[in-house]
Amino acid sequence: MRRISLITLIIGLATVLSAAGGDGTTYGEGVTLHEAVAVETLLASPDDYLGKKVRVDGVITGVCKKRGCWMQITDPDSGNGVRIKVDDGVIVFPYEAMGKKATAEGVFDAITLSPEQVEARAAQQAAGQKTAEGESCDKEGARDGAGEGAGCDAPAQDNRVFLIHGTGAVIYS
Amino acid sequence: MKWRRLIIATHRDVGYFFAGLTVIYAISGIAVNHIEDWNPNYVIRTESAPLGELPPGGNDAIAAAVLDRMQITETPESVVRMSPGQLRIFLDRRTLTVTLPSGEVVDEHARRRVAFFELNYLHLNHGKGFWTWFADVYAAGLIVLACTGIFIITGRKGLGGRGRWLLLAGLAVPLIYLILVVWS
Repeated sequence: MRRISLITLIIGLATVLSAAGGDGTTYGEGVTLHEAVAVETLLASPDDYLGKKVRVDGVITGVCKKRGCWMQITDPDSGNGVRIKVDDGVIVFPYEAMGKKATAEGVFDAITLSPEQVEARAAQQAAGQKTAEGESCDKEGARDGAGEGAGCDAPAQDNRVFLIHGTGAVIYS
Repeated sequence: MKWRRLIIATHRDVGYFFAGLTVIYAISGIAVNHIEDWNPNYVIRTESAPLGELPPGGNDAIAAAVLDRMQITETPESVVRMSPGQLRIFLDRRTLTVTLPSGEVVDEHARRRVAFFELNYLHLNHGKGFWTWFADVYAAGLIVLACTGIFIITGRKGLGGRGRWLLLAGLAVPLIYLILVVWS
């Protein structure tokens, strides 16, 4: 009887642990919102979402290669993507996450680029340097005016860069 | 003299216990200090390959054609149309960015930098959880090492002489740096 109880306990624990883990790896605070906003919707009417906590689902199509301090989540149907920026070291997105399905949440924000930052970005793109998929979260990029302060080189729309200040994510294997 | 014996024993044992971790943190510290000059975690190589014009079709069909022409047998993790003129094929630590319809491919491979990836993983506490706790213990251990270390030697080479000046010189470096750079 005692053995049966022990086996039951082990199976129960294993079930609880596997259910808690799911098939994804949780980063930061994970994901708490039940409904995701389509990236396309977010970028089509960004002012409706500014300052609000949102969740986006999609495929990881870019990762900060040096520090893992951002990842780009793209809706595979529309090709629209949004960058999830986290504080260095608080959450680290691994390069191996590229191409995996993910869900992430955080506060949607816009950074208005200064004329100098717009110019620096244009110059970088013209020179074929560190584009949206580059590594310009580094200080070099920030010094050039197109990096950290300008949203880690995330794509711009009308001189504004939209990004999500990520609080958590789940990356599925 | 009992307290000196205790200090020496503590310094010795804590020192032995944390010697390995100190080397790990020091190597990783140098590696990440120069992150602007290199990628301390991954070796990333990018090559271009012209595949010739690709047939029109859905994402999966184009991806199959690309993989076939590049003689890659691996099943992609995912295939995403980034824009009408660009398809991206994600393999294990490898990304193929295909320009359509010209078939120009940018092939990016990444591999973990041997040893450094693991050292940085520990030093930068990517794992969180248990490692946060253990790293705190290590930090406390370093404080113990520093505080016991200065009392090991007595006499002219200890705190009463040369040791005092070296201790002050070591404190002066960060202090002068702060005065010149942060507080000026």
